[in-house]
Amino acid sequence: MRLRGITKVFPGVVANDRVDFEAAEGEVHALLGENGAGKSTLSNILTGLYRPDEGEIELYGEPAEFHSPRDALDAGVCMVHQHFRLVVPFTVAENVALGDHRKEGSAFLVRPRAIERGVAQLSERYGLHVDPRARIWQLSLGEQQRVEILKALYREARILILDEPTAVLTPQEAETLFRTLRAMAAEGRTVIFISHKLHEVKAVSDRVTVLRGGRTVATVSTAEATRRSLAAMMVGREVDVTRRRERDGEIRGPALELEDLWADGDRGGSAVKGVSLTVRAGEIVAVAGVAGNGQRELAETVTGMRPRAGGAVRVHGRALRGGDAREAIRAGIAHVPEDRLGTGVAPSLSIASNLVLKSYRYRQLALGPLLRLRAIREHAVDLIRRYDVKASGPHVPARQLSGGNLQKVVLAREFSGEPRVLVVASPTRGLDVAAIETVHAYLRGAAAAGVAVLLISEDLDEILALADRVAVMYDGEIVGEVDAATATVEEIGLLMAGGRESP
Amino acid sequence: MNNSILVVVLASAVVYGTPLLYAALGELLAERSGVLNLGVEGMMLVGAVMGFWAVQRIDGSGSAVLALALGVAALAGASMALIHAFLVVTLRANQIVSGLALTIFAGAAGLSSYLGNDLHLADSPAKHAFHPVAPSSLQDLPVVGPVIFGQSVLVYASWVCVLAVAFYLARTRPGLNLRAVGESPAAADAMGINVTRYRYAHTLAGGAFAGLGGATFSLAITPQWVDGLTSGAGWIAIALVIFAFWRPGLCLVGAYFFGAFAALPFTLQSRGVTVAPELFQSLPYVMTVLVLVLVSSAGARRRLGAPASLGLPYVREER
Amino acid sequence: MIRIERRLRQPRWLTVVVPVGSLAIAFAASALVLAATGHAPGHTFRRLFDAAFLAHGALSSSVTSATPLAFTGLCAAIAFRMQLFNIRGEGQLYAGAILAAAAALLLHSLPMAVVIAAMVLAGAAGGAALALIPGFLRAFLSTNEIITSLMLNYVAALVLNYLIFDSLSYWRDTSTPEAKVFPQGKMLPASGTWPSWTLHGVLVPLGFLLGIALAALVWLLYSRTRFGFEVQVIGDSPRAATYAGMRTRRKILAVMALSGAAAGIGGASQDGDFRHLLDPRGLSQSGYGYAGIVIAALARYNPFAVVLIAFLLGGLQNAGYTLQGADFPSGLVGVMQGLILFSALGAELLVRYRIRFARPRGRGPALEAAG
Repeated sequence: MRLRGITKVFPGVVANDRVDFEAAEGEVHALLGENGAGKSTLSNILTGLYRPDEGEIELYGEPAEFHSPRDALDAGVCMVHQHFRLVVPFTVAENVALGDHRKEGSAFLVRPRAIERGVAQLSERYGLHVDPRARIWQLSLGEQQRVEILKALYREARILILDEPTAVLTPQEAETLFRTLRAMAAEGRTVIFISHKLHEVKAVSDRVTVLRGGRTVATVSTAEATRRSLAAMMVGREVDVTRRRERDGEIRGPALELEDLWADGDRGGSAVKGVSLTVRAGEIVAVAGVAGNGQRELAETVTGMRPRAGGAVRVHGRALRGGDAREAIRAGIAHVPEDRLGTGVAPSLSIASNLVLKSYRYRQLALGPLLRLRAIREHAVDLIRRYDVKASGPHVPARQLSGGNLQKVVLAREFSGEPRVLVVASPTRGLDVAAIETVHAYLRGAAAAGVAVLLISEDLDEILALADRVAVMYDGEIVGEVDAATATVEEIGLLMAGGRESP
Repeated sequence: MNNSILVVVLASAVVYGTPLLYAALGELLAERSGVLNLGVEGMMLVGAVMGFWAVQRIDGSGSAVLALALGVAALAGASMALIHAFLVVTLRANQIVSGLALTIFAGAAGLSSYLGNDLHLADSPAKHAFHPVAPSSLQDLPVVGPVIFGQSVLVYASWVCVLAVAFYLARTRPGLNLRAVGESPAAADAMGINVTRYRYAHTLAGGAFAGLGGATFSLAITPQWVDGLTSGAGWIAIALVIFAFWRPGLCLVGAYFFGAFAALPFTLQSRGVTVAPELFQSLPYVMTVLVLVLVSSAGARRRLGAPASLGLPYVREER
Repeated sequence: MIRIERRLRQPRWLTVVVPVGSLAIAFAASALVLAATGHAPGHTFRRLFDAAFLAHGALSSSVTSATPLAFTGLCAAIAFRMQLFNIRGEGQLYAGAILAAAAALLLHSLPMAVVIAAMVLAGAAGGAALALIPGFLRAFLSTNEIITSLMLNYVAALVLNYLIFDSLSYWRDTSTPEAKVFPQGKMLPASGTWPSWTLHGVLVPLGFLLGIALAALVWLLYSRTRFGFEVQVIGDSPRAATYAGMRTRRKILAVMALSGAAAGIGGASQDGDFRHLLDPRGLSQSGYGYAGIVIAALARYNPFAVVLIAFLLGGLQNAGYTLQGADFPSGLVGVMQGLILFSALGAELLVRYRIRFARPRGRGPALEAAG
């Protein structure tokens, strides 16, 4: 596959700028770049989801034009997206068979058993074990990913693209995935592996193409590149966000205590099962684990967005009723949610409005039932300046901000409330390196100022760089707690998988 | 026995429930593709008036004219649905407001009334109408006689439609694709399914069915055209889809359930039961609210069966 | 190649162009419908305009028609601001009319100002109470408020009919033998007759002025108070509102009550300004119907625009009613209202998105255009 001069423009941003890229048959080719470099856009063009504004695509020497995902699929290009494109209430078999007309004879009638048989066969052959009759919502994220790969294999994909596949896997599961990918490449398929993680790229690929700011920087052979050289190409300067820093400030008494906390999930059953955890003032405690093991529900319960079904949450000794976000806010708990745009801000409202989302009730910003509009505006201008939010003014709607700037707005709001406890979930997801550095600096600064920080993240590198202690969550329970300075990735990885070796 | 209140009510329930069933099946298809169409009342009325027009103005044998009239009614309903489909699928407008606009445009003080008046349809009864078709020997059987054999072709056709729609959804590939479009248009799109085409097609089908439902009123139940003939049946049909958890079989049950409540006042009145008619007439509406409450609160956390993308436009390129 | 992209900025001129443009397109489309069915569009429009605004007494009639529309428009707009659909506020208008009539009849001996105030309050209470039912169901039982409020509208209409036509209720005039045969409501006392003023020959009833006052109040509430801020947030993102600790359920109740109260005052106005008795037939024939939501959609959250547009649509309703007859297409009002709403929806697209024409292939221009 060869891409020449691909350009794609969105309102206000050039996502791909005359990108050249080429991948050969039988190789695993990595596409490396930080968040926002244009990798996802490029892959969406490859799979027909977007149409390039300029440039050409060539497949096996012939020019190709994809007007829709259908064309790409027919040409043998399949993608495993970062956010899975699966129909949640359907079974595995139904998902795999969706849209395909070529197999099992009749194009009109659905033959569930034949499809299930086909899926089981593929599953065996490639070691991607999953029950064809299971419904997607019953599967773990790792299993769901296997379904996505099976979809591609069912279609006899010649080119397989995977977008940040290890985000939802334990380190051991990631190893298994890499073995599967190498096997597929050995069969003559082309595997394109998109990532921003250097060690993965080194582990699995034959060649690497580095993207930065929407442009191709270089294409090198993996064997010849080092992590440092790749990092330099990716960011344009020497940087390592995974380096641990010295702890400033001291750790004092317990600020947040979770005692045997229970909470129900959305689909019935418990999502948080007896979690006990203490975070002391000035400390950063991380909760590690693959997404879907109750972390989101834990954050929601601590911050009052979800009622607790049992146990206690205490802030500086005072127990909270729970189930009431306002109570949590008053107790000094700040919350940076993992879903910035959907939960952390009101997207159509201005930055100024969002900055006072929790504080509009207080005397400086309101006079009885009326709002002090000018005071609100000044407050916003001040925060925008202090937190370096890049926007043309406080009236700009929040949805127009980039991921990094949006996160700065959320952080500005949460910090300016002088919290005692800070609950942050996946704070740097989707952010570029500069933004990641900024956020990490804020978190360290908060801890130094005596705030108790509960960091929930799926990014082990981030956890090991920031945290003092790491608690690992699996299936709603804390299965282990380790000291961050001395823990190893393998140890944590094992705990993330439930303390068992993955199959 | 066949004159007992129970049997009469059951038979009438089927009669009054049939337009609800048609409209609900149509709305079910549209909603399964993710398009909420609140214009059902308007589409039914337009179907009713155009079907009636066809019967009054076209010459020919009874059954041929009636068949043609049904086609006209379906077409009329579908053309109304086309407006809604264009606005919400192509222009990504707010589905709720668009559906309401359709009801205003086509409904009781709108296009249907306009056409009814302009075409001078209001004064005369239908030249041809749908009557029960089974031989009287079958109609005289106890209970099943009036309830099952005393019905018109429209009723029997509606049963076939229920089976067809159920089979379509559960067993065919287009049906599978449709369900995918409704649950997760992103997944369907990524698999090469044309979301736009499916949504248009099923919204139009919804309109056609609604048109048929309306024609049931003007050609079978009260073979006449009056402004606002359906008096809220379209809205009940929408509630019916929710009540049936988006499943065709339950639509049938629900339609007859509500049909019974619609039939009750007339039946009791003809028996000389003197209770204020308004109280009975309000029964279908009150029942709708009660049923809706039960269904919504039970599944408040896990919306059983509501297509996940219902009401939301699908945009492929939006960042 | 035509592409639709999300706009980065919302130009100011759009807020005026959208309603005006929608009206223009709707008129054009209506002209097409008229022409296609054998009516001369120009002639019909002129007759409409005449009957609405120019003929002797037309302006006053239009204001009369506009008054209830202003209230049902505000009713829809108040709820709409928080993405609640309290459409067809008729039922709440009826409830308001019922209670207001009761208040006037009960308190007939008190001074006029008191009686009128009581009628307004009673009307508001009646409308609010009825609207609280779908509000409660939505807030606590997650039931779709569109269908529940619609169903209750039908029920309220039936109750109204029942009170006057079928029961010997308090509201029914049973004083004379004729009254027993031809049912109608009791006449309201003179102290329950709302005053009106004549401005340049146009009759402006108290109700209309109340409508303007209510619009001002709503504007203040939504743009300057904490309540309004919370409504904005909840309407934009209920999840963010919960996250911020806002009491979503209480707001739903409050907004629905306010919305119903607006419609209820409209009902009180109908009793006090125009009919002077509880008149089911009259109330339902005014054809308020869905006009409320058309007005609210066009006015795009601005309460003052609601009153203005209510006036225009009031003219339309008035003309439609006056011209009813063999040679004038009935149902035209609904058709035009529907077309206006369709156009407004289409125009909404222009507000949120921008249509771009890009050359299919080539080098350079796309990057240049990106700037």
